Amino acid sequence: MKGLLDTLSVVLQIAFRNLFSNRWKTLIVGGIIGFGAFLVVLGTSLLDSVDHSMSRSIIGSVAGNIQVYSSASKEDLDVMGGFNFDANDIEPLTDFAHVRQVLMSVPNVLQVVPMGINGSMVLSGNTVDQALAKLRLSVTARAQGDATPALGQTYADQKDHVRQIVTVLQSDVENVKKLHDEKALVTDDLGSVARAASPAFWADFDAKPLDSLEFLENHIAPLATDADMLFLRYVGTDPKVFAKSFDRMSIVEGEAIPEGKRGFMFSKYVYEEQVKLKTARGLDKIHEALTARDKKIATDEELQRLVREASTQVKELLLELDAPKTRLFREKLQGALHSSEADVGKLLGQFLNANDQNFEERYAFFYRELAPSLELYRVRIGDTLTIKAFTRSGYVQSANLKVYGTFAFKGLEKSPQAGTMNMMDLVSFRELYGFMTDDRAKEIADMRATSGAKEVTRENAESELFGSAPDESANPSAALAVPVADDLNRELSTIAGSHQRGEAKPYDPSQLEQGVILNAAVLLKDDTQTAQTVTAIEAAGKQAGLPLKAITWQKAAGLIGQFATLMRVVLFTAVLIIFVVALVIINNALVMATLERVREIGTLRAVGAQRRFILAMLVLESVAVGLVFGALGTALGAVLIAVLGKVGIAAGNDVLMFFFSGPRLYPLLASHNLALALGIVLVVSIVSSVYPAWIAMRISPREAMQSEE
Amino acid sequence: MTAIVSIQNATKDYRLGKVVVPALRGVSLEVSPGEFLSIAGPSGSGKTTLLNLIGCVDTATTGRVEVAGRDTAKLSERELTRLRLNTIGFIFQSFNLVGVLDVYRNVELPLLLQHALTAVERSKRVLALLERVGLLEHSKHRPNELSGGQRQRVAIARALVTRPVLVLADEPTANLDSVTGEHILDLMKELNRTEKTTFIFSTHDARVMAHASSLIRLADGKLDEGAAAASHDLPPSGPGAAA
Repeated sequence: MKGLLDTLSVVLQIAFRNLFSNRWKTLIVGGIIGFGAFLVVLGTSLLDSVDHSMSRSIIGSVAGNIQVYSSASKEDLDVMGGFNFDANDIEPLTDFAHVRQVLMSVPNVLQVVPMGINGSMVLSGNTVDQALAKLRLSVTARAQGDATPALGQTYADQKDHVRQIVTVLQSDVENVKKLHDEKALVTDDLGSVARAASPAFWADFDAKPLDSLEFLENHIAPLATDADMLFLRYVGTDPKVFAKSFDRMSIVEGEAIPEGKRGFMFSKYVYEEQVKLKTARGLDKIHEALTARDKKIATDEELQRLVREASTQVKELLLELDAPKTRLFREKLQGALHSSEADVGKLLGQFLNANDQNFEERYAFFYRELAPSLELYRVRIGDTLTIKAFTRSGYVQSANLKVYGTFAFKGLEKSPQAGTMNMMDLVSFRELYGFMTDDRAKEIADMRATSGAKEVTRENAESELFGSAPDESANPSAALAVPVADDLNRELSTIAGSHQRGEAKPYDPSQLEQGVILNAAVLLKDDTQTAQTVTAIEAAGKQAGLPLKAITWQKAAGLIGQFATLMRVVLFTAVLIIFVVALVIINNALVMATLERVREIGTLRAVGAQRRFILAMLVLESVAVGLVFGALGTALGAVLIAVLGKVGIAAGNDVLMFFFSGPRLYPLLASHNLALALGIVLVVSIVSSVYPAWIAMRISPREAMQSEE
Repeated sequence: MTAIVSIQNATKDYRLGKVVVPALRGVSLEVSPGEFLSIAGPSGSGKTTLLNLIGCVDTATTGRVEVAGRDTAKLSERELTRLRLNTIGFIFQSFNLVGVLDVYRNVELPLLLQHALTAVERSKRVLALLERVGLLEHSKHRPNELSGGQRQRVAIARALVTRPVLVLADEPTANLDSVTGEHILDLMKELNRTEKTTFIFSTHDARVMAHASSLIRLADGKLDEGAAAASHDLPPSGPGAAA
């Protein structure tokens, strides 16, 4: 044994001496190997970290560890919605209580969150509509005899505001006319605004306010193109269980939807991106880019575009200004800009056309002096939102839901993919999705009772409608009975009542438990057992007669969940290419080195070295290069990751922000990544020395005897 | 005492493409222990081929070659290697030292391949031999820091370090000037006398042959019988004898 060690030591000595005597070759080969090892450590560490933080964000937001839905579904569930707006076609699970009971019977299941995901549009009305609606309320109040001075003042202010709006729109239409040749259309519009702007129209307004309002609503409001349809994706859930289960969720403004109340919560991202005043949103973005990302307006095209947009699209702000606000803005802006310009639109344009020197000052000024007079968000916390959604059978359902607040998922605040998920209570969701809820069923039964309508099935439809059945002949019109006048009033009040349902009528919390869901998020006690639990859940479902399909969060998050896997494939392809190149180069270099050493190897053989000694010598030589430079590259990668783990990598844009699950990624160094790098290097070194070693073993000891000539 | 090398009617053919080139055409030879034998002959006469057969780096095409009592035709590649390691020392025309190892390590190398001795024993033997060849103070030098004569002395030390019964030297002085060559031969002769090691060396230089205790001549792959007969107990002869 001792002798073997000595032999090894001499082999090593020969190997190392050889490496030193071929310094350049060794450095080139080693450099490639070192770079490869460096890349493996860096790449796998970064990917692991991204994977880790992404999985934390996704599991901790909507997906949970596992998603469960009906195996009868036509499409796969994708809780992040991929890049489509449409919800997936998921077959409902009719009894959540049963589903929950089955899921909780699986030992590793910690918590089950009921869900339904859908999207819908919300009409928020444009600024003009809102101003006109307010004016109409005052008009109605006055018509009903309210003559208080306060109302008189409000009424006058509101009229002023509408006049102001008309003026803005008039100049707008005139601008359009200058640009377009569509004379007919624009002339029509011009006529309308000219009429609405005329002193005569307003002199006449008090006399016939309803006619005037109608004209404004039909002819003027459509000209304001800031109209506004929001497309919202939402998850209907049990808000309490949801907040408890998803630790990444936090309430940004307002409060959580209270237990038993119907309500809606905006995702902070949607609230900022879609609901906030565009000008304010633009300024926020510029502010963030300047302060958090060290960008400069002077050099960044994106920021220049945002500045241009803000300064040219002041109409949105102008429409919100009534006469007193206009005066206020004029004074403040004149002061801020040291200008004597009287046109507030021009003042705003000038003010918003900021540069790197004055932006921060003006940003602060905007929020301090101007914003308090503006409606920064089209929907405020506490407002009631009317949500219209298509049910599965295709008709439109609507619900009025109070907006309780906004929420965000930590790490996903800036993510357009995860950030688009809003929230509502599950009971409202079921109604919007077209499921029968207990309340709904009762309501319909009541309506049916009051209107005298009755069930008409296909089989007896004919007899019902045409009264051919003998027992019905006595009262042939019963099925289609026209309600008498008394009933009409009652019915109207019922309909009015149902219109108020959304915000007013609470529900029994037990309804959350019983009834339909589309899918459920499952949180686990031990997340290393995810795959096993998926199997266990499906087995439990089968046993209970429930068509349950379980998928891991990676699958449930669709493309986003697969991202890390995809990047891993890309990385390993790159690493593979590098190492194949390294393999070819090392192989080539070793063959050359072997051919240069024929005499030396022949001598060793003649003197008494066995073939395996020669083999060991060559392999060791290659492994030595591999390990030394591989270790160097690995160490370099490890140091870099360690430093990055302290400093963090800044997420330059929103997409990276999502993958990093925050503004910075702090990569972690894992020993298995180092081992992987060294392992790959070792394999490559050995494999690349196989062919040259084979050649060397074949060298005859006779080669030693050949004379040099 | 039995012969240390016994060759009976050995032939060796080399193949060059489709042409068969006979290098030895039936050589018989007996070498007794303690001999200082010179194999002489012009280039291409088969000297190196004969040395290869004796040195077990090659086997005969036909005929019988026995080294240290073993029939080389019956030995495997590994056994031949072991035979070379334990019974034969080699001295080459171009010295063939391992360039990356120092003098000490070069000499120690065969002992390391044997892995039979402890480090202390090895060191004793290596140092004694280095002293013997006069290179003790050069033990840390690399071969390229030495002169040709010094390198060949390192090679001699390496050949003797395993205490082989037989040392083969292929044109040991061909790459040296005549004075140095003379010194090398004196050293070999002295070791032959004191260590009782058998030396077989090839040469085409008549002055070198003059040192041999016995001489065989090869021509065209055959023993030059007439010359061989006269070779035993060779008296120092003039340069003309070789020509």
